[in-house]
Amino acid sequence: MNQQPESNQTHFGYKTVDKDSKASMVAGVFHSVAAKYDLMNDLLSMGIHRIWKRFTIDCSGVRAGHRVLDLAGGTGDLAAKFSRLVGEKGQVVLADINDSMLKVGRDKLRDKGIVGNVEYVQANAECLPFPDNHFDLITIAFGLRNVTDKDKALASMFRVLKPGGRLLVLEFSKPEIEALSKAYDLYSFHVLPKVGQLVVGDAESYQYLAESIRMHPDQDTLKGMMETVGFEQVTYHNLTGGIVALHRGFKF
Amino acid sequence: MPAPQLLAGALELALNKVLSLDNASQQRLAPLCGKRMRVKLKELPWPLTFVFSSQIDLLMDDEQPVDCAMELSLTHLQEMQDPANISALIQDKKLSLNGDMHTAQSFAALLKELDIDWEEQLSRYTGDVFAHQSVQLAKSLHQRAKGHLQQLGQIIKDGALHEKQLAAHPLAVEDFSRDVNKLRADTARFEARLSQLEQLKASR
Repeated sequence: MNQQPESNQTHFGYKTVDKDSKASMVAGVFHSVAAKYDLMNDLLSMGIHRIWKRFTIDCSGVRAGHRVLDLAGGTGDLAAKFSRLVGEKGQVVLADINDSMLKVGRDKLRDKGIVGNVEYVQANAECLPFPDNHFDLITIAFGLRNVTDKDKALASMFRVLKPGGRLLVLEFSKPEIEALSKAYDLYSFHVLPKVGQLVVGDAESYQYLAESIRMHPDQDTLKGMMETVGFEQVTYHNLTGGIVALHRGFKF
Repeated sequence: MPAPQLLAGALELALNKVLSLDNASQQRLAPLCGKRMRVKLKELPWPLTFVFSSQIDLLMDDEQPVDCAMELSLTHLQEMQDPANISALIQDKKLSLNGDMHTAQSFAALLKELDIDWEEQLSRYTGDVFAHQSVQLAKSLHQRAKGHLQQLGQIIKDGALHEKQLAAHPLAVEDFSRDVNKLRADTARFEARLSQLEQLKASR
């Protein structure tokens, strides 16, 4: 898993592509699925993604007045909750590299009446446009595996996090049980693309989703990557048998 | 799958749905806005943290400071609905409360004063006539069931007191308690007198 290609190349699912072109290819995937992203999340995870996100919020330690960055925030599931938890004196920045996802997120939050303490920023996780030591909490849910240079992105997150702040990375990972892994493979490579074709009319994007999950670093590798850029007390918690893992690291 | 989060999600959804059915709930929620309250139920291994804003968010968080923290048993939750009961529950040590009592009282009032027009809610799906008849039927069944339960309770009480004589009559219990109290007072007086006499004897 996650064998690195040559330095100017990277993974795009199982394909090896130029680093410069990955961002636009990922953008293509998300432009295609943005409109039905929430529906597909519910369908494909059978609603369990809501429980994973709820667990992330429970581990966030966020409170009134905090400044939160929801990176790769997509359609704003986490940002909506954080907006209520930080209150009027706090601030939530919903950032995504993809403008289609950002627009869907912004419309969804505004339709729910969530305004005032939420800002929307189109940003690349590798070079975050924020000052040093700025956020109390950074979350990135199901976004890190799409980033071209994950080490650079983690370092960028470390830079903008306040001392005492925490980073939460919620991401697909490696199932702990072999039997579950096989069933999950079967589901990912045979069911996901077919549902994608049926609902969104795009099987390729969901084929990429399945492949990108397999190419993403496993639990211990990601933990090591976080420690390398400076995060301390890094721990992870496997959810649904390791299909998803929540990594938590602090900056001191 | 984390079970606590599943439970919290279901509870939060139900709570906010119920509040949304009561038009005046936002007004009662306003004083709680920005407050946090942690409830530890003795029957549950996880604490529940209520965060109040324009709605209620439920967290399974035990780390962060809260405005009010309470610990009680599920059996006393019903009594909590009436804010007037809170002091009595604390005195009886059935409720442990730390922090701002007003938060707990406002939350109790929020739930107690829920006023949902079920007929109106049902009529959105079934039409007015069916909704009216269903609610009237439910009310009449509820009244009848209540009457039958009261009757059954009276029959059991009479049977236990008079026919089978399994339980003592309340007046007999009251008499007995009065006699016990009198005996306790007499014994205390006798004990005091005896101790006085013993002291007198020892001094001679």
